[in-house]
Amino acid sequence: MNDERYWNIKLLNKWFAISSIIFMATFIWMFIDDNDDEFKKYQRAFRKMEVETANKKLLIEIEKIKDERIIYDNNLLKADSIFATKKSILDSLHLDLEIASAKFYKANMNFLGEKAIADAEKYKYETAKLHNYNDEPLQIEEIYFNLVSNVEKLKLIKEAKEYEVFQLEEQIKYVGLEKDNAQTELNKILKEVNIADRKLDKLDRKKMSLSNKLGDIVRDLPILDFLSPYYKVEQVVLPEVKYNVNFAQVPEVDRCTSCHLGITNPDYIDAPQPFTTHPDLDLFLSSSSPHSYEQFGCTSCHAGRGRGTSFTSATHTPSSLEQREEWEEKYHWHEMHHWLKPMLPTKYTEASCFKCHNNQTYIAGAEKLTLGLKLINQKGCNNCHHIETQKPYRKIGPDLRKLDEKVTKEWAGKWILDPQSFRHNTKMPAFFGQSNNSDSVSVLRNKTEVATIVEYLFPDGNKKKTHNAKYLGNKENGENLFNVVGCRGCHNIEENPDNPSNIVNQEALFRSHGPNLIGIGSKSDPEWIFNWLKNPTEYWHETAMPSLRLTDQEAKDITAYLYEFKNLEFESMQPLEVNAQELDNITYSWLKKAFPVEESKSRLDKMGYNDKINYVSDKSIRHYGCFTCHNINGYENDKPIGAELTHEGSKSIQKLDFGFRHDLDHKNYVWFYNKLKDPRQFDHGKELAYEDKSRMPNFYLKDEEIEAIVTALLGFNDDKIGENLLAETYVPDHQIYLGNKLIIDKNCQGCHLIDGIGGHITENYFAPEYAPPNLNTEGAKVQPSWLFNWFHKPYIVRPNLQVRMPSFDMTDEEWNAIIKAFQYKENNMLDFASDLEFDRLETKFIAGKKLHELGACNNCHFYGTEFPKQAAQTWAPNLALTKERLQPDWVVNWLKDPQAIMPGTKMPAPYLPDNEILNVEGAISDWGKAIVKLGGDEELMLEGLRDYIYSIKGKVDISTEVKKYFKENGYEFDSDDDDDW
Amino acid sequence: MSYIKSFIDFLSTPTISFTLLTFAFPFIFPPNDWFDKKNRQWGIYKVWSNKGGFWIFISITLFFIVGYFDPYFNKTMTKPDNIPIILMIYSMFLAVWYGMKKSYRNDDRIERGEKPEEWNDPDDKVLVWPDLVYIELIALILFMVFLIVWSILIAAPLEEPANPAATPNPSKAPWYFLGLQEMLVYFDPWIAGIIFPMFIIIGMMAIPYMDINKKGDGYYSFKERRVGYFIFMYGWLVLWIFLIIIGTIFRGPNWNFYGPFEWWDPHKLEPLTNINLSEYIWIKLLNKGLPSNIILRESVGFVITIGYMFVMPLLLAKTKLKHIYEHYGPVRYATMMLFGLTMFSLPIKMYLRWTINLKYIIAIPEWFFNI
Repeated sequence: MNDERYWNIKLLNKWFAISSIIFMATFIWMFIDDNDDEFKKYQRAFRKMEVETANKKLLIEIEKIKDERIIYDNNLLKADSIFATKKSILDSLHLDLEIASAKFYKANMNFLGEKAIADAEKYKYETAKLHNYNDEPLQIEEIYFNLVSNVEKLKLIKEAKEYEVFQLEEQIKYVGLEKDNAQTELNKILKEVNIADRKLDKLDRKKMSLSNKLGDIVRDLPILDFLSPYYKVEQVVLPEVKYNVNFAQVPEVDRCTSCHLGITNPDYIDAPQPFTTHPDLDLFLSSSSPHSYEQFGCTSCHAGRGRGTSFTSATHTPSSLEQREEWEEKYHWHEMHHWLKPMLPTKYTEASCFKCHNNQTYIAGAEKLTLGLKLINQKGCNNCHHIETQKPYRKIGPDLRKLDEKVTKEWAGKWILDPQSFRHNTKMPAFFGQSNNSDSVSVLRNKTEVATIVEYLFPDGNKKKTHNAKYLGNKENGENLFNVVGCRGCHNIEENPDNPSNIVNQEALFRSHGPNLIGIGSKSDPEWIFNWLKNPTEYWHETAMPSLRLTDQEAKDITAYLYEFKNLEFESMQPLEVNAQELDNITYSWLKKAFPVEESKSRLDKMGYNDKINYVSDKSIRHYGCFTCHNINGYENDKPIGAELTHEGSKSIQKLDFGFRHDLDHKNYVWFYNKLKDPRQFDHGKELAYEDKSRMPNFYLKDEEIEAIVTALLGFNDDKIGENLLAETYVPDHQIYLGNKLIIDKNCQGCHLIDGIGGHITENYFAPEYAPPNLNTEGAKVQPSWLFNWFHKPYIVRPNLQVRMPSFDMTDEEWNAIIKAFQYKENNMLDFASDLEFDRLETKFIAGKKLHELGACNNCHFYGTEFPKQAAQTWAPNLALTKERLQPDWVVNWLKDPQAIMPGTKMPAPYLPDNEILNVEGAISDWGKAIVKLGGDEELMLEGLRDYIYSIKGKVDISTEVKKYFKENGYEFDSDDDDDW
Repeated sequence: MSYIKSFIDFLSTPTISFTLLTFAFPFIFPPNDWFDKKNRQWGIYKVWSNKGGFWIFISITLFFIVGYFDPYFNKTMTKPDNIPIILMIYSMFLAVWYGMKKSYRNDDRIERGEKPEEWNDPDDKVLVWPDLVYIELIALILFMVFLIVWSILIAAPLEEPANPAATPNPSKAPWYFLGLQEMLVYFDPWIAGIIFPMFIIIGMMAIPYMDINKKGDGYYSFKERRVGYFIFMYGWLVLWIFLIIIGTIFRGPNWNFYGPFEWWDPHKLEPLTNINLSEYIWIKLLNKGLPSNIILRESVGFVITIGYMFVMPLLLAKTKLKHIYEHYGPVRYATMMLFGLTMFSLPIKMYLRWTINLKYIIAIPEWFFNI
């Protein structure tokens, strides 16, 4: 060994020692750092919380049984003391048992040993017998049977010893019986306490034995924690919910519950995030709910990165700027820029409902989404933008092919340029005067563009307008009719833009389904209004406006009333004219888009004035897409001009042009929101040719409306959901969807209450009784075949109603769909039902007849053409119609409690005597034999009553009689004090 | 301050900064007497003194401090991925400064006829076993400590979970490959991505076989091997390190250039109107269409390339570099020329791009062959 050194080895040793210690320290630090996952912090905090909750629960449970426990504790004590006195007996018994057990063991061994020998001998004997061909007696036979009899003897001895042991055991058990019983009784009432206690044993280290405590620590140590750690990632795999990884569909894995530990546990409603219980566990997460955690997980609704186990990597999304700042501060949150589906801000979570409920028009619990979908249909977004799930039922704007009959050229021009100046809340959006075309050059251009469009729409110029007084009736009468006959279900007449106030909900949309009729007198002439009221489909065959079967006089009266509404300010505005110079400019600018410069110039030179008008009007109609919402001659087959929105919610952010709006947060919902708020704003700061500017019109939507539409847009995404999770899998007939769409499109809820909303027309009547009926239970109520016929040809059912069920021009398929939709709501999908069979001699029928007499139904109800006894204000439907119209089961339910089905109805539940009353002396004379015989059985009595009603005969359609009555007597009863009846 | 910042932004434009560096380089590492004279005259050599090192350290640090408080530069600087770049700038400077300081001191000594510093150094003698190995072990442990602490304190520069449908803009290579990525701006991938990296590796392996200058062995010296030093340092500092710095700090969205204090505006546009040499010749110069024969079309490019790579070294061997050719022999000379000319083709191409928008010298997209 060479001892030569040129370096101070002791110094090196010191350095080695120091650096090794530092290395060791950093190494430990590394392990701690590596194992200190974010979710573990939450799990530790939650464990503490769980211990607290369990302790509280334990105390509560102990408190609950406090009194009861004393008895059982005492019993146990008593039994214990008795048990103690028997100690000497027990000791001797135990001693005896010990000896007896030993004897039994010995006897048993003897028996088993002998039996084993006998079994072996048996084999030898059997083999010998098999090979013995001359039937001589065998020596072995004797040996074998000797052995068998020995075994029998030993078995007897064994059993005797066994019995001794058994008896001793019984005696011992009997001595301890009382004590055992007392203990079992006590344990029974301590059940909940013990459960809580056992839970605490697992949770609370303080309650653990030393070895368990050590185990609890060791199981979570680094490396060892691969076995069975307490703190671990919790996850659920969702085979039905998939997401796209490089074109492969991968099941979603949600690890959210690694931190959201109390999400399915109702005990943590008041706990802070992330431990809070999910709201509405009946609808979400619990295993009995329709959206169980095992099937849906979290990200199928909230989106986000399910595999993330830290606050940031789960792509939580702040709802507001303030929250964003708070998160940055508190959680060091930052954006995950590339993740395809960041979590939805809570205000847009309803968007996800659409993934599985994409056919529904009304999604209970998702009011914002429902409103958004309704707005998309009502505002006609789906006219310009193709949306696969929201195909428009018809063009939303009026038919313009016969526009010259309806309005004048001057009016049309002014209207197109600025519709809001005529009707403040029109659905027609504003194309002009927007943020990117308000400069003087654009304004000049727009006026000429609009003037050429008008020229196209009025190929023959203005038609001669007849302000013919023969179409004007009595306007007071007209006003009255307008208010009661049903117009107000869809229309209102409201000059003040701030009224009704800025309420945004579905009901507000029912109210504004038809146009606000202000200024009608400045728009159309009496003849057109009259004809339109009489038969709307003649002018526009797809219109949603139904016919109210007005008589000529009624139509004239309403015309007179409506014609009174003028907009003088609009009338005094300057009409638009084509500016020849501007016309050339526009023509040239469009020509340049299609042809080389020189050719454009020569083409322009060759064009006459009318050619230019035609050319510019065509270009303008196509540019602004007028034909997407209106029927226009020559544009019937043109495709919509807007971008498809079927998967808009999945469009990547890079494809949304924020332009120079660097101040906006680059999120798709922010873009959608701002696009709807001011559709032209992303042109801000750009140098664009006029033709390249944004042209989406401004709908002047309210903030809440925009939020609802954005929710729906976010729902239009390409997420793939397994069939088992789709709502439509559980809908028996897809016609139901069509029916629900029609209910929305025809605005049934303007007059009727359906799904708990609608029916605002009721406000116009002094009692709901005189308004259109609510349609609760409609699907179970009427017979589909009757309803179908009645829809086609409605007649009077409720005789004292002034409001009329309109005649809608719909196909059989559509009516069937509507009937199915109603039936589905009641889970009653029968197309045909057999007639009700009853026996007129049956006791219940006779009882029913008697009840009917006692109930005096004929005070209010018609019996065919037989009028009720009481005055018109209490009139009720024709009972002769019942058997055709109503379903028998429903009638029984209705009679039981009419208020439950139709709150506010005047129909009283018939008085039914109970058994006690029927046992009173003289009951037979009061109630009749049959009722007494039924013995107070409510169901049978109501069935009898129903059967009797079904036996009433008479004229079914009594419209003529009723109309005649009111023609003679008028509807004066309206003004009566409604307390009278 | 904003004026200074925009001036720095302006100076950092690759054309300007690269030119400045290239022109300043021979004055800082003078390869011949004339440059050496100027170097002495202007006192540049003083940089390699303690004082000079101190001031350069201060000015780099000052730059970073100013940058830290700039909202845009701060973003680039504090990315975990870019921390090695900052360390690299410091360590590169430290290593070069230390080597040059020692070299100058030795050069002085040799000029005075003394031995280099490292010559008589028996006290500093170290045995491999146990001294050196032991020291190395300790250094190893301490370096591990440094790496572990670094990895704990600053998370690994992994990016966010990716989106397969959208690549980030800009998409950058890891920092050590950014020099290569920068070359891709000027060369076809097969050159910048395959030929150059291969030549760099093989070329560096070949250096010991080509360099037969025995002076400077075992001690620091600049003057005795200044040409080699100059060429290597130019390739290393300017064509590699500086390109990494450009790629990291100065390249933003759309691979556009951004000054260190400039906001990375994704809307920024730069005109890219690059023209092939064949188009210059046939269309601009001769006023006629491109010949359909590919070889004819690219003939000038071929002539220039072959001339640059093969004919020029031959001529030089006969004339100007005759002494080198004779000194090193044909094999060494040819190898040196191959690697050297390839290396210098990079700045040449860069300048051709910047000055006359030259896209390719030989452009045969039909064969995927572009130079």
